[in-house]
Amino acid sequence: MNILLAAILKAIAIVLFLGLNAFVLIWAERKISGYIQRRYGPLRVGGPAGILQSAADIVKLISKEDFVPGGADWWLWTLAPAVSLVPAVLVYLVLPIGRTVVLQNLNIGLVFFASVTSFTLIGIFMAGWGSNNKYALVGAMRAGAQLFSYEIPLILSTIGVVIATGTLTLQGIVAAQVKHHEWFVFPQIIGFVVFYIASLAELNRTPFDLAEAESELIAGYFTEYSGIRWTMFAMAEYSNLFTTAALGVTLFFGGWHGPWLPGWVWFLLKSYILVFVGIWIRWTLPRVRIDQLMDLGWKFLFPVSVANVLGTALYLMVR
Amino acid sequence: MALWERLWNTGKSMVVGHAITLREMLHKPVTVCYPEEKPPFEHGSRSVPVLKVNEESGLLNCVSCGLCERSCPPSCIEIVQAVGADGKKKPWPETFQLDLSHCMVCNLCIEACPFDALEMADVVELSSYQVQDLIFDKDQLAELWKTSKAVRVAGGEQI
Repeated sequence: MNILLAAILKAIAIVLFLGLNAFVLIWAERKISGYIQRRYGPLRVGGPAGILQSAADIVKLISKEDFVPGGADWWLWTLAPAVSLVPAVLVYLVLPIGRTVVLQNLNIGLVFFASVTSFTLIGIFMAGWGSNNKYALVGAMRAGAQLFSYEIPLILSTIGVVIATGTLTLQGIVAAQVKHHEWFVFPQIIGFVVFYIASLAELNRTPFDLAEAESELIAGYFTEYSGIRWTMFAMAEYSNLFTTAALGVTLFFGGWHGPWLPGWVWFLLKSYILVFVGIWIRWTLPRVRIDQLMDLGWKFLFPVSVANVLGTALYLMVR
Repeated sequence: MALWERLWNTGKSMVVGHAITLREMLHKPVTVCYPEEKPPFEHGSRSVPVLKVNEESGLLNCVSCGLCERSCPPSCIEIVQAVGADGKKKPWPETFQLDLSHCMVCNLCIEACPFDALEMADVVELSSYQVQDLIFDKDQLAELWKTSKAVRVAGGEQI
């Protein structure tokens, strides 16, 4: 009974955090993009800096008509937003938030994270195929090629850390960094750079937003979505933005490790700094072409990450 | 080595580009938050013709000659000359009506005026739900002139 209660409480905590995170990040992204373009961004809705803009957006989105396009495959089309939201929720299970705060300390934490996030592709492809729309289908095809290509360097870039620590639990990886008083970003700088580029590509964000590419494909795979279903895609996107940043912090920046403040504050602080860098990159760089994207993934990131794994293994062997 | 050159160029342009966006982000935005802060008017901007008042006598400069009425292409000015108790016409307007809903802000009335009695105001917040509210009489036009002068002085213009 206690296990059941704990599980329910954990689920409620995850959903609350997911909603709050999307709420804040949508506002922050609009604010940051505004300031980068010498604008203010949201300013009028609620409070001094338009902090309740997201609340107004949500009210608007919920009150919209639930529209299903005529030629859509009803089951695929309606299930797709939920399918893309589920992995975004599941990954919170293994994130080590504090020294003892982790919802479920799986012994294959990193593998769990990688395998669950690759489910996002299924949601995207269901949306693209089910919409019965050429733009949505092209967007979904691109997302498929992109996510598949970048999954490999993303996982390979984390293997250097796994070799160095000898564990797949995220809590164990943080503990190793705390023990040696050294964040892995310094010895594993190549791994971190590859990880960060690949994670931006996994998130389908500019400069790798070919799957959405509003100037070419309207909105890519969610062209036909509106209202609450579109909100679910947006929530999944912003949740994934936070969780990949949190994974980067866990693997390379010492997770909850830091002086004075409690662990979870450090964890959130570092994660949101990485999220900020992601937003900053989004509003700086233009979109790459599909061939440049494939070149970068297969001809640069893949060999570099393999070399990083080999180099780390050799160093640890001869040391 | 072409590869190293490309890598170097990529890294350099990434750093330069992100430095530019960060610098722009730390600047104050150029947006003017309109109802709270008002942008200064450009010199020579037009919004509505208003009646100037003589500073010393406090009377209108207008002598009711009717040249502006004739020069107005959409005929939005309507003047009735004052008639004294002796039955003679007097050199000031009894009524001076300007229908802003018809006015096209062409400046021709001001060019026609020989007595420097009309001027383009710098007042723009004149919208209304009733068309009748856009018909201004001479007192309202003189009042608008004072408001417009205050706007210009606040904007730093020499009058």
